[in-house]
Parts: sequence; C-alpha cells; structure tokens
Amino acid sequence: MTYPTIFPTGATIYDPGRCWNGYTVFQAKEVGALLIDMNGGEVQLWKELHGMPNRILPGGYLMGSSGERSTAFGSQDGIDLIQVDWDGNIVWRFNQYEFIEDPGEEPQWMARQHHDYQREGSPVGYYAPGLEPLTDRGSTLVLAHKNVRNPAICDKPLLDDTLIEVNWEGEVVWEWVCSEHFEELGFREDARNLLFRNPNWLQSGGGAGDWMHINSMSLLGPNRWFDAGDRRFHPDNIIWCARESNITAVVDRQTSRIVWRLGPNYDETPELRRLGWIIGQHHAHMIPRGLPGEGNILIFDNGGWAGYGSPNPGAPTGFRNALRDYSRVLEVDPASLRVVWQYTPVEAGLPFPVDANRFYSPFISSAQRLPNGNTLITEGSGGRIIEVTAGHEIVWEYISPYWGKMLRINMIYRAYRVPYRWVPQVEQPQERAIERIDVTRFRVPGASPSGTRRVVTVAGVLPYRPDAALCVRTDVGGETAKETSG
Amino acid sequence: MSILLFTATGCARCAIAKKFMAEKGLAYDEHDAIGAGKERFGQFYRAHRSAVFRGKEGIEFPVLAQGGEIRQGVAAALAWLQSGSRLDGFIGRSEPSKGWVGGLHVARGDPGEAESLAGVLGFLKRNGLKLQLDTDGRNPAVLERLLRQGLGDRVVMDLKGPRALYPALVGAPVDLQDVERSMALVARFPEFRFETTVAPVPAAEGGREAIRYLHPEEIAATARWLKEATGSHRQPYFLRVFDPETAADDRLHSVEALSPGALVRYRTAARTHQVLTEIQAGSA
Repeated sequence: MTYPTIFPTGATIYDPGRCWNGYTVFQAKEVGALLIDMNGGEVQLWKELHGMPNRILPGGYLMGSSGERSTAFGSQDGIDLIQVDWDGNIVWRFNQYEFIEDPGEEPQWMARQHHDYQREGSPVGYYAPGLEPLTDRGSTLVLAHKNVRNPAICDKPLLDDTLIEVNWEGEVVWEWVCSEHFEELGFREDARNLLFRNPNWLQSGGGAGDWMHINSMSLLGPNRWFDAGDRRFHPDNIIWCARESNITAVVDRQTSRIVWRLGPNYDETPELRRLGWIIGQHHAHMIPRGLPGEGNILIFDNGGWAGYGSPNPGAPTGFRNALRDYSRVLEVDPASLRVVWQYTPVEAGLPFPVDANRFYSPFISSAQRLPNGNTLITEGSGGRIIEVTAGHEIVWEYISPYWGKMLRINMIYRAYRVPYRWVPQVEQPQERAIERIDVTRFRVPGASPSGTRRVVTVAGVLPYRPDAALCVRTDVGGETAKETSG
Repeated sequence: MSILLFTATGCARCAIAKKFMAEKGLAYDEHDAIGAGKERFGQFYRAHRSAVFRGKEGIEFPVLAQGGEIRQGVAAALAWLQSGSRLDGFIGRSEPSKGWVGGLHVARGDPGEAESLAGVLGFLKRNGLKLQLDTDGRNPAVLERLLRQGLGDRVVMDLKGPRALYPALVGAPVDLQDVERSMALVARFPEFRFETTVAPVPAAEGGREAIRYLHPEEIAATARWLKEATGSHRQPYFLRVFDPETAADDRLHSVEALSPGALVRYRTAARTHQVLTEIQAGSA
C-alpha cells in the first residue's frame, strides 16, 4: 500500500458516456452525510449526521443516525436510525430496542444499530428497477447489537449481532439473535476452542467479545433461484456477512434457521477451494432483480485479517488466522459457487502479487451493481470510490478529501449511487468529462518538468528482460486471483 | 414409625438432613444409594418409581420414607420431619442447583404454617444453602415474614397476567391487593425477577367458550401494573413461552405452542411500561 504524500482528491476520472450517472452519497469522515455529483461537486451536506451507512431514498430523503453511544460503554452502537428530509427535518425515527443506562450518561432508549438496515420496498437499499424503498410507510430491517451470555460459545460476555424488523410505528416485531444459531455456523473444533478463549475481545463497556461482527444485512428479494423452486432463496430471507468469522449466510425468515452458508471454512469442497478463502468480507448481498447479474452474490472480500482456527506464523494463537494483503470483489453464483465476475488486483491491471496491495482495503468497503452492468466499488480504507465496467475499466474515480481529526484517515464506510430523479430538489447537474491525467508527466508547482536533461549511451548493454529485477516470482502465489480470473 | 433415609456418597444436603434429625433426636435407617445401599435403593425405587423424581441430573437425594410417605430433597424431607404434610403446599420438587434450594412456593401453602416454614428454611439457611422462593402473589404475609427474617436469597414472581384476568389465570379466587403487595415485597429481596408466561386463557367468542393466548396489549397492561405496584419501570421482567405439554389443565394440551419469536411483539408491548423486559433465554 504505497501511497504518495501528495495526490489529488475529489473526482479524478470521469467518462460520462460509460458511467451510470447519478448522485453518490457517503459518510464523509467526521463531517456528515455528503451527496456529490459525478464531477465531485458537493450538492448537499447533512452536517454531522452520522450514518453506517447513509442512504438516499426517493424524494431527497436521507437515512442515518443522530449519533453514536459513548465508546466507553459500547462499540459502534448507533443511538437511533432516522430518516430526514432534504431540509434535515426528522420524519421517522427508531430507537426503542434497548433501554441503556450507561454510568454518567442520561438513561435513554437506543437502537444499537450498526453497519446496515433496509427499508421495505428495496431488498438491498440501492437502486434497482421497480424495487424502490418506501418513504412514508413500511417496515425497516435493522442490524443491531445485543449483549448476551452463551456458555456454548464462550464463558465471557458477548457483543452479539441481531436482526430486527421494526414497523413504521417503531415497534420491534421480529428478532433474530446470532448466538442462538451457533451450532449452525460450521465452526470446526480448533475455531470453537479459540472462540471460547478469545471471542475478539473489546474493552469497552467492561469488555465483551465481538465474536462475529456482522457488517451487512439485506433481503434476497425476488430472484430466479426461488422462482425455480429453491426455497433457501425465498425473497423474504435475509443474507448477512460477518467479518470476524468470514461467514456469509442466509437466514430463513419463517424458521430463523440458516439455510445457506459460505464459510467459515473454504477448504472443504472443490468448489470452495476454487473460490478461495474469503477474509473479513463486507457488503455481501444478492444482486437485485432488474440489474445485470441479478441473483448472484456480490461480495467485497477485503482480505486483511480475520477468522478463528489453528495457529500459523501470521497468527500465533489462531486468532485472525486467515491473512491476505489485497482485496477482491467477487460476483458468485450461489448455487455452484463459481465466480461469475470479479475485480481483483489482476483485473485492476496490477502486477500480481508484487503490486496487488494497491487494491486493498482491510476493513469497511462495498460493491454496488449498477443498471448498465458497471459496479460501484468503495475501496474504503483509502477513501476511494471507483466505477468499473464489466470489462474492468475504471470510468469514474473519487477520492474523499475528508480526513478525520480524531482518526487521521479519509475512510468511506460505504458509498451508494442513486438516480438523479431521487433528488428532485436540485436540477440535474452538468456532466463534464475528466480527462485522465498522465501521471508520468504530472508535476506539482515547484517540481522540475518531466524529461531527462542528458542521455548517454553505453556500448554493449542488453535489453531488459521480463521480471529480471524482481526478487519474487510472479507466476505463483496468486491462485485465488488468477485461477478465477475472467 | 421408622424412618428410612436414602443418601448418596458425598451428598452435602444429605448431611444437612441427618444433622436436622440428630438435633431432633430422630432415629433413622440410612442406605447409601450409590454405595453399599445401592441394591436396597434399587428395590425401593422399583417399588416407588412414581414417587421418586428422576431429572436430567439424575435423582436428587436425600430420599426419605416414613409410614408410606415419601419426600425427596432436603427441604421436603425436613418439612415432613418438622410438620408432617402441613408444609406440602409450600415445598415442592427442586431442580438440583449448586448451593441453592428451589421449589419453595410461598403462594401455595397454608399461611397458618408460616412459622413452621420459617423454621425449616432457617435451618437450611444456617447450613449454607441459598433459598430461591417463588410466588404468584398470594400469601403476601408469608412473603413479608420471610423477607423480614432474611429467608429468601432470590425470589421469582410468576406474574400471571393483567388484573382483569388474574383469577382466571391462577385458577382460583385471588385478592388483587395481595398480588400488588407481593410485587412490592419481591422488589425488596436481594435478588429477584418477575416473569409472565404468555399463556392461553379461556375466552367467550360468539357465545362459545374458546381458548386464546394473552394479547400483547394484556402483557403491556401487566407490565404497567408491575410499574404501578413497585413504583419502577426498570424491573427485571421476563416473558416466557407457554408449554402446552406440561399444562395442568387438560384442555390446554391441544393448544398450539407459540414460537419464542412470537414473543417479540409482546416484549415490545411490555417495554412501554417496563423498559428492561426480555424474553427468557431458552424459553420454549
């Protein structure tokens, strides 16, 4: 991850003719919910409105949270989940999931929402034809936290993940608690042993094990698998993924049982071995009906560090024992587990593996399928959003200019592209192409221009040979990236 | 009448029972059911299988037999030795739990025997056992006496439902002021919780007698009643799923069980008045 000290921010690449043009919304670090146009113009900021993530709903509504619980007592607990209008007025709020009495704090109801939510009408919370989220009624699925004890997992307190359904009146009408399904998660003995000893221990609130860390949750929505009779993929079923365990799973809404699962182990069948070890993944969801690739599972496979298992040199206790220093965006057929499409360092044109870590976000991040077949990718840790074509060309790129003051990082948790018509309050902006800058010639003020002042020729020197200067081989080691390429 | 006492090797509760009998000067014939007296206990068990409870953890000892009466567990054995069958309503079967004695039903006994009950519980307490009481709200005077004498380390109150349905849910006449007094007393014990089983209730529908489950609004009313009686909206209040198979009323065996997930709406309703309401883990 070699970053230059100086580089441009804002929109850096834009080919209007090949993009699916619209607005993009994201949580600008420690600033608020920011809506930008394709040229990076900042259309509106909902100042200090939190969001994990922020979403635009039709009509210029925005969803997010008014704040986060004190980190002395909780971890990523959103106080509430709110819907505000274009002018920032709160039109819907949910907070009555748990009554919290933190020492020194005012007792209050909290949603404890984190990482995701879905408003009825849209299974995944982004644009798909005919599947638009409701704005004045309907239920909302919320991913939330709950502190539990479960001696089958660990003798220590656990920070558990729950999926809850909240009606428009703010009443919880359905709940799924992850720890109650521990035996359905496929942990092997080495993982169970380690989980018992170290369930990803966090110190806040007296300590709790953030053992799964579910970071996305969405409905499957109408899909061809269910139409063909596969009830595992009932449109009302919920798909989630958990970064600490490397598990992606589908929960049956009727029985609450897990009916489809990817991970935690990726070495148990030929199909899984071909797929490769998914590590610390985010935003696993089924591409909604009406978009190219509908029915496939789109996953931002971060890499980085995650999982529980046997010790290895990179994980002496077996904690976070799966390691990889590049990311992959995978589109997977959920029936065959074959990769249908992917964007990895190879497709990004980065020499593999020596420069693979230039496409790498070890945490956060996402991928959204767009109606023209492009994919909007949030490479979150570096604050980079790109739109890539099915042929892997980058046709839009944006770098967030917002570095946090408390955490010096310009991270973007998850960005969404929405159609212009979802924000009727402003006129559709002009779309101005941004020509690619030739970085080999690009200089900042004060730097010498490109070009060598004097060239000498040495008799007898040989031409350069492929890979001659490298200390590592480039034809091995990238099984997961190379074998599934194309 | 001679006393037959079956004990188990290393059983601390058996030692307490023997100590009680020694203090009372009662003679008994002891057999170690997992040692030398195994064969003798086997014969006894086969002859009295229905009177000796075998739970998940096995058989609880001591088991005491006298004159055709059998009592199992240290509390029941001591109660028999002290008062014959007069304490039977107060003391029932206890699931073995390390250091605790349960099955102590404040509401079910004869309040005239409160002093005798306190004597038994005091002996258990002095010998190192912790006491878990339960009540449905009846006999508040007994509860108050036990509170005053420190004879309850934990109380679980089975709050049957809202005021209007309480007698029907208990299956007997109930003085609702007794229930309210009990709620307030329960909240003064060192450890306590309130529970409500989301149970079926008889209902008249279209002129016919029918059975329906309590509604979420009725659970909300129960939670509100708890708030009014205790002055707190922060009571540890738990909801439980009704198990038709264990229902005392035969008419309820055919009622379809609710799933634990169905209680989420009830919890939401209850939290309007009791903010810490939870669904009891393992409730099924």
